[in-house]
Amino acid sequence: MLDQWRARIPAVWCPRRAAGGLLLALLLGTVVARAGIADHVVRSHEEGIDLILYPTPIRDVVTVVGSLPAGDALAPAGQSAVPTLTGMMLDRGAREGSAAGALLDKYAIASRLENVGAAVSFEVGNQTLDIRARCLAKDLPLVIELLAAQLRYPAFNRAEFERVRQQFIGAVRSSIDNSSYRARDTLNRALFAADDPNYPQPIDALLASARAAGVEDVQRFHREVYGPRGMILVLVGAVDTVAARKAVATAFRGWQGGREPLPGSRAGVTPPARQVVELASKPSVTVLLGQATGLRYRDPDSLALRVATSVLGHGFTGRLMSTVRDREGLTYGVGASINEDSYSGGAFVVSASFAPQLLDQGIDSTRRELRKWWAEGITEAELAQRKQSLVGTFQVGLSSTGGVAGALLSTAQRGLDLGWLDRYPELIRELQLPAVNAVIRRYLDPDRMTLVEVGTLPAAKEGTVPAAAPR
Amino acid sequence: MTLARTAALLVAALGIAATAAAAPPAVPPGSGFSLVRSLGGIDEYRLDANGLTVLLAHDASAPVVTFNVTYLVGSRNEVTGTTGATHLLEHLMFKGSRNFESAGGNSLKQYVERVGGNYNATTSTDRTHYFATVGRDALQGYIQVEADRMRNLSLRESDRQSEMTVVRNEFERGKNDPDNVLIEEVRAAAYEALPYHHPTIGWRSDIEHVPIERLREFYDTFYWPNNATVTVAGDFVPAQALGWIREYYGGYSASPKPIPPMYTEEPEQSGARRVTVKRPGELGTVLIAHKVPVGLDPDQAPLAVLDAILGDGKSARLYRELVDKGLALNAGAGVDVSHDLSLHMMYASLAPGAKQEEVEKALWTCLQAIQEHGVSVQELERVKHQWRAQQAYKRDGTAGVVSELNEYVSIGDWTLYVKFPEMVQKVTAADVQRVARRYFSEDTGTTGWFVPTRTGESK
Repeated sequence: MLDQWRARIPAVWCPRRAAGGLLLALLLGTVVARAGIADHVVRSHEEGIDLILYPTPIRDVVTVVGSLPAGDALAPAGQSAVPTLTGMMLDRGAREGSAAGALLDKYAIASRLENVGAAVSFEVGNQTLDIRARCLAKDLPLVIELLAAQLRYPAFNRAEFERVRQQFIGAVRSSIDNSSYRARDTLNRALFAADDPNYPQPIDALLASARAAGVEDVQRFHREVYGPRGMILVLVGAVDTVAARKAVATAFRGWQGGREPLPGSRAGVTPPARQVVELASKPSVTVLLGQATGLRYRDPDSLALRVATSVLGHGFTGRLMSTVRDREGLTYGVGASINEDSYSGGAFVVSASFAPQLLDQGIDSTRRELRKWWAEGITEAELAQRKQSLVGTFQVGLSSTGGVAGALLSTAQRGLDLGWLDRYPELIRELQLPAVNAVIRRYLDPDRMTLVEVGTLPAAKEGTVPAAAPR
Repeated sequence: MTLARTAALLVAALGIAATAAAAPPAVPPGSGFSLVRSLGGIDEYRLDANGLTVLLAHDASAPVVTFNVTYLVGSRNEVTGTTGATHLLEHLMFKGSRNFESAGGNSLKQYVERVGGNYNATTSTDRTHYFATVGRDALQGYIQVEADRMRNLSLRESDRQSEMTVVRNEFERGKNDPDNVLIEEVRAAAYEALPYHHPTIGWRSDIEHVPIERLREFYDTFYWPNNATVTVAGDFVPAQALGWIREYYGGYSASPKPIPPMYTEEPEQSGARRVTVKRPGELGTVLIAHKVPVGLDPDQAPLAVLDAILGDGKSARLYRELVDKGLALNAGAGVDVSHDLSLHMMYASLAPGAKQEEVEKALWTCLQAIQEHGVSVQELERVKHQWRAQQAYKRDGTAGVVSELNEYVSIGDWTLYVKFPEMVQKVTAADVQRVARRYFSEDTGTTGWFVPTRTGESK
C-alpha cells in the first residue's frame, strides 16, 4: 500500500489521507486473549461501574477503554444530534470533584493532560459513548479524576456549546461527500427498522436537530442518560489493582443513574434490493451488499457464521480477495464481515470498491462468489485453516495493552463472561462443518440482500428498487 | 498502517531498555555476522556474505515478534514512464516466488494468514518495506518465505495485468478524497526537480503502461541484500534469529553493480507558488507547504517542537486561533520527513462559512507570532513532557517499534530512533524561533486551496 503522507502530522488529519496497499482487517472483531486471562483479571463493581483491571508486564503504561450507554440510539425524538453534541461537550469544561467544584475550562483540562503526555477522548456511537485514555502509571489518578469530572459534571458552557454545534454541523456536512460514510449510512438505514439502535439518523435530520438544539437539551440528555448503570471501564497495563479500584470508587462515589443499551427492534423491514447515491467526482464507486442477521455476538450460531464469513471475505486468502482482486483484478479491496452485533442483531456486509467502468463486472463477480459460498458452503480444508488462523490471532493480539483492553471491553459489552476469552480457542476448534454451513443458509439469502452503490456511476440508475420479498 | 513516521517517534521498549544496560552482545564465531554497533537496546549486525543489515530489538514482554525488511527504493528512484513502479512492484511481491506460490499452498499470504499473523507492505518516496507480526513460533517460517522473494520473485506478465487494475483502483480511491488530490498537487508544485514531485502511486498512464521488463529491471537493480535492512523486534532468541536470517538470506550475493544513487538536487525556489483544486465537495481546505532540510538535519528536532506547539492538542496555537474561533474544524502542522529535502505543511479544514483567505491569513499569523515573539517556556516544557511519555507508549507492542525504525532507516540513520527524542529534549525556545524564521516565508512557500465548487451529491 501507499505511504504518501508520513509526516509528523496530528492524527486528526489522518483519516482523510489516502490509505492503501495490502490492507487486512481483523477477522472476528477483536479476539485477543491468552490462556488464563480470566484468572488474572480483577473485576468488580465500583459505584455501579463494571470495572475490569488487567495488569500486564509493560512498564509505566496504562491503557483505559470504556463505554457508557449514551449513544445516538438513545436520542429523544427529533433530537438525533443531541447524544453526539453531549459527548462533544465533555472536554469543553467540567467541575472538579462535585457540581459545585472549581471550574476547569477546556484549556485547563487539556493542559493537565497534555503536560504529562496523557490523553482522554470520547466518541459517540450508535449505542454507547466510547471512552479512551492513555497515560503513564503515575498519572492514572489524575486521569481517573478528570474522567470522572468530565462524565459527571460537564460545564455545558453556552459559548462552548455554540462552538461545538458549528463543529458538529461542519463534520456532518463533510460526511455528505464521503462515499464510505454514505454507503454505510445508506445500507444501515435500509437494513434496520427506524427504532432499531443500528438505524442511523439521516444527515438532514442530524443537521436539523443540531440547528434546533440548545444547551438545555444536552443538559437534559446528560441528566437523564449518563450514569454508572451500564458503564464499563477497563484498565490494562501497569495497573496497581488495589489503588485503581480505590481511585475509581472515590472519583465516582455517589454517582447515580444511567441506562442499559437498547435491544434490537422487533419491527420487520422490507429492505430495498438496491440503492444508489450518486456523488460527483468520485472515480471509485463504493459498494456494499448486506443483510441483517438478527444475531447478536453472544447468540449460539454467531461464531459459526463469523467463521464462515471469514472464509468468504477475510484477508487475501478469503474467497473474495483471492478471486475478485487477485485473479480478476477488479478491485483494490473486497471483503465480508459481521457488524454491529454487540448489543442487538447485526448485519452481514460485503464491501468493495470498483472503477465505474468495472462496476457491473465487479458486482457480478462478487455476487457469483457470494452465491457459491451460500449454496455450496465452505470446505473442510477451509474450515481447518480458518480455525488455525483464528487461534493464531490470539497470540498476536497479546502484543499491546490496547489489544487486550479492546478484547476485554468487547467481551463485557457482548454480555459474555471474561472466561469466554479463554474458551475461545476451544470453541473455535469444536466447530463442525455441517453446522457452519447450515448457519450460512439459516441467516442469509443473497436474493434478499441490499446492494448500495455510492460514487460517480457510469450511467444513471434507479435510486431504490423494491425488495425481492418482505422479511 | 500508513502513517509510518508519526508525531511520536520515540525510544525503547521494556525489554529494549533492559538490554540497553547490558554489555554489547558477543557475536558467536562463525555466525557470519559482524556486530556494527549497539544503541538503546538495539543491536546492528552486518551479514558478512552480502552486506545485509540486521537490527535486533529484543522484548519478551509478549510472545510475538515483528519481522520487517526495508529496501532503500521508493518513488524517488523513479523517472517519467516508471512513476508508480516501486509501488506496483510492491504489489507484485505478493504474487509468489520460486519456492512459495499460491498454487503450492505455501505462499506468503497463505502462510501468514494460516498462523494468524498481521502482515502488510508500504511504499513511500524513500523506501519500500514488508512486515509481519506473528507468534514467536512462526518466525522461522516467515523469514524463510520473506527471504525467498528478495531474489526469487516470479514477476509474471499475467500477474502484472491483473494487479495493474488493482493498483489503478487504489489510485482511483485516492482521488475520491479532495484533500489527497490537494496534497498531491501541492507537492507537485513545491518540488520542481526532485522526484518527490510525482505521487508515489504514480501517474495513471504510467501505472497502466509500465512494461513487465521495466519492473524486472527495477527489481534487479534494487532488491539486493546490500540495499536492505532487516529488523526483528519482540520475543525471539537473538542467536537463533541471526541463524535463520543467515540461512535464508545468506545465499544471496551482494548486488552485481552498485546501487545507483539519486543525484538530482532541488533548485532554489524563486517566488511564492499557489495551487487551487476545484471540484465538488462540501468544505474547503488550506495547505501551506515549505521545503525544509533533509531528514538527517539537526534542525528536524526544533521543527518537531515547533509543530507540536502549533498543532498538538487543544493547548496548541492553531486550535486556539482557528478551531476555537470557528475558522476551522481541525488544523495542524507537520513535516513529511524525507531522505532529501523534506516538506513542512500547515493545514486547516475549513469550518462552514469560513473563507480560504482568512484561514490562510490565520495560519500565517500563528507562524509569524512565533517568528517575532518566540515560544513560551510552558509550551516548550509541555512538548518535552509529551515526548517523554511517548517514549513509554512506544514500548506497547512490537509493530510500532519496527515501523519507526524503518522510517529512520529510510532517511539514512536508524540510531535517530534513540537520538531524536534526546535531541528534542535539548531544543531551546531560541532554536524554535530560529527555525521558524529560517524556513518559512511567503516566497519559499507553496499554498494550496481546495475550493468546493458545489455539493458533491447529484441526486
